[in-house]
Amino acid sequence: MSEPFAAAGQPVIRAAPRVLALAVPDLALQRGLRSRPGGGPLVLCEEGQVVQASAVARAAGVRPGDSLVQARAACAGLEALPLDRAADHKALQGLAEAMLVLAPAVEVGEEALLLDASAAAVGVSANAAGERRPSPFVASVESGRPLPQGEGCPSLESEARLAGRALEMARRLGYQANAAVADGKGPARALARSAAGGTLVVPPGETARAMAALPLEALELPAAALARLAAVGIRGVGALQALPPEALVHRFGLPGAEAVRLARGEDRRPLVPYLPEALPEEWWDCDAAVENAEPLLFGLRRLAERVAARLAGRGLGATRLRLRLALDPRGEERLFFPLARPSAAAAGWLLLLRERLGELRLGAPVTGLWLAAVEVAEAPPEQLAIGDRPEVARALEVVLSRLAARLGEAALFAAEPADRHRPEAAYRAVSFRPNGRNGARPSPSGRGHSDSAEATRGEGVCPTATPAATPAGIRPTRLLDPPRPVVAEGEGGRLTALRLDGRAFPVLCLAGPERLAGEWWSQRFDRDYYRVRLEGLGDAWVYRDGLDGRLYLHGLFD
Amino acid sequence: MSAASQSLIDELRERIRRLERCPARREGFLPSGRPEVDALLSGGGFPRGALAHLVGGPASGKTLLSLSTLATAAAEGGLAAFVDGRSELYPPAAEAVGLDLRRLLVVRPRRTSPAARGARGAGRGEEALAGLWAAEALLGSGAFAAVAVDVPLRGLVSARAEAMLRRLAAAAEKGGAVGLWLGASAPGCRVPAAVRLDLPGVAAGVADGRMPSPLMAPAEREGPLPEGEGRLFPVGVRKGSAGGGRV
Repeated sequence: MSEPFAAAGQPVIRAAPRVLALAVPDLALQRGLRSRPGGGPLVLCEEGQVVQASAVARAAGVRPGDSLVQARAACAGLEALPLDRAADHKALQGLAEAMLVLAPAVEVGEEALLLDASAAAVGVSANAAGERRPSPFVASVESGRPLPQGEGCPSLESEARLAGRALEMARRLGYQANAAVADGKGPARALARSAAGGTLVVPPGETARAMAALPLEALELPAAALARLAAVGIRGVGALQALPPEALVHRFGLPGAEAVRLARGEDRRPLVPYLPEALPEEWWDCDAAVENAEPLLFGLRRLAERVAARLAGRGLGATRLRLRLALDPRGEERLFFPLARPSAAAAGWLLLLRERLGELRLGAPVTGLWLAAVEVAEAPPEQLAIGDRPEVARALEVVLSRLAARLGEAALFAAEPADRHRPEAAYRAVSFRPNGRNGARPSPSGRGHSDSAEATRGEGVCPTATPAATPAGIRPTRLLDPPRPVVAEGEGGRLTALRLDGRAFPVLCLAGPERLAGEWWSQRFDRDYYRVRLEGLGDAWVYRDGLDGRLYLHGLFD
Repeated sequence: MSAASQSLIDELRERIRRLERCPARREGFLPSGRPEVDALLSGGGFPRGALAHLVGGPASGKTLLSLSTLATAAAEGGLAAFVDGRSELYPPAAEAVGLDLRRLLVVRPRRTSPAARGARGAGRGEEALAGLWAAEALLGSGAFAAVAVDVPLRGLVSARAEAMLRRLAAAAEKGGAVGLWLGASAPGCRVPAAVRLDLPGVAAGVADGRMPSPLMAPAEREGPLPEGEGRLFPVGVRKGSAGGGRV
């Protein structure tokens, strides 16, 4: 495909993209610790050797490189986990999901995430004339240090804020990370891995200068190439930058060319965006078997926040949650929580979870929790009407979810008129969305299904009357399902009473009939409806079924 | 206390509510939408943040009055709910009184068949508790301006039923909603309502001409039907005939 901005016949020179790298040091160790709230001594092992050790284990004398036997001898109660690179990658993918809320594209790298920071200039606003200028907040901090103000250049302050939000997000999800913003993803990752416990924002065009201070290992060159460079006295990136690139390419081949490119901050490769496929699930291991709800709620809060953050990054909301409780010594309990509407609000979930856990009676202690969003839907931002208050919208979401979890989703609904003549089918249940749209609402006149007896006698369907305009269209407030048979009592050709459940109710007056008929193609019905005022009961909606000739009480004008 | 001090205190209370992210307390009265009924109520409507008890038989007009009140709440921009423990509410009638159906939440606690109830050893009390729990959640949520509750209390002992009704009243006060209790009270159970409206009494007043009928639409014909009119059947009906009217 031709490049639209390139002059004909000239190669396109792509600028290195601004990239925020988020390096997670000792990822496997952090992954193990985040699901173990106790923070006991923990090591990661590979082939019987300690690869990574937690701070508690190191304090007890355990060092990476020790054999597992040595480590266990040095530290009582040491927990050892096997190194699982696939699980590490999966954990990083979970973190990437949450980061999608901050950046349009996130690449999952080796112990690092790479975020597209090109759109980070959120602090740069445009005035009415379209001229770009720093926002007042950015301007207020500019006095301390110069910021580049070139056309289209993102503000360093905005990038720093983006990095800060990414670090905070990672912390909420249980990871300690380092962040760096630079030109190109390779340099950004190298800078992030060396930015111990902090944030580094390198202005555009100055990446090479920032890279000069790094040791050569930051470039992640092959061990052989590193050894050969060390042999000729090159130990830092700055020294590498000073060498003629042609000589390096000649002596080291492709790795040499790659090293020069990274050292000079000329990494123009685009990000490879991560597209999450599986729905998020998080787990939490109890230190010991838990028998009461409070420790479980503590763990659930963590899990809910993590799952919610991952969903929010994808612009999704859960409509059904699944909580699995691992029981001691074996077995599990599965609980499902339907939500009234797509939600990525952990606080709302916790109300449901807490309520359900409070009522739960388990046969055994709990050793672990898994929380997953098993059904999701796009979560559009709540559209508030004028006068609506956000706290009411939140309260509504919470109460609807509580009701759905306790009574079932089918127990709560809003009614929508249906274009049907059969009274019991004149409405359908739809989900309750007071500010949303439940579809087109047919006009009342379009549902006209009643008429006077004079107009409809001899016809199967009466299509034209407006219910509100004629007494015949008045509907009862209560409809009995199924209709209850009644027995007529008459005298001299007149109806005098209706007998219901063995009790006779004298008829004071009546109006009608209103004929309703139709649906000959499926379940034909043919009814003459009367509004009958019964002494001792009130106004009742009674019909004579044209198919069996019997009388039925179908509703009450309560 | 001066009016200025009272105003300041009210403003500070409102600020505290906002800080605590509690729903704003609704105060005052919610008109029923029926001027004739509002004239009977002190304040011109049902009190917000309290329970009102509509007493009446199966076709006394209490449901229509509650729907009319819910319509008023919805017209003010609030949300309305109807806890339909009998599964009898007919929403087209709600639309007919001007209630925006999109702002009406209908809650029908699961109806179990008698066979299922017997098999599980659970009585109707379980359904009543589910309905009362739903009503309490709705009233106390702060999201709904008015909630009508029609839950039969059969299966609950009176002390339990009264305790549940007290919880409803407390929830209405917490959420600032108008609670309309339509269910009949159990024997020996007192409904802790701020207002009690006896609809048969209202209807009796209508009948003896003391007030116009707010609830019952005028029938086309009053009194015994004239000979030859209003016949349900082409042939005369014998008194006491069985089988639904065929002679």
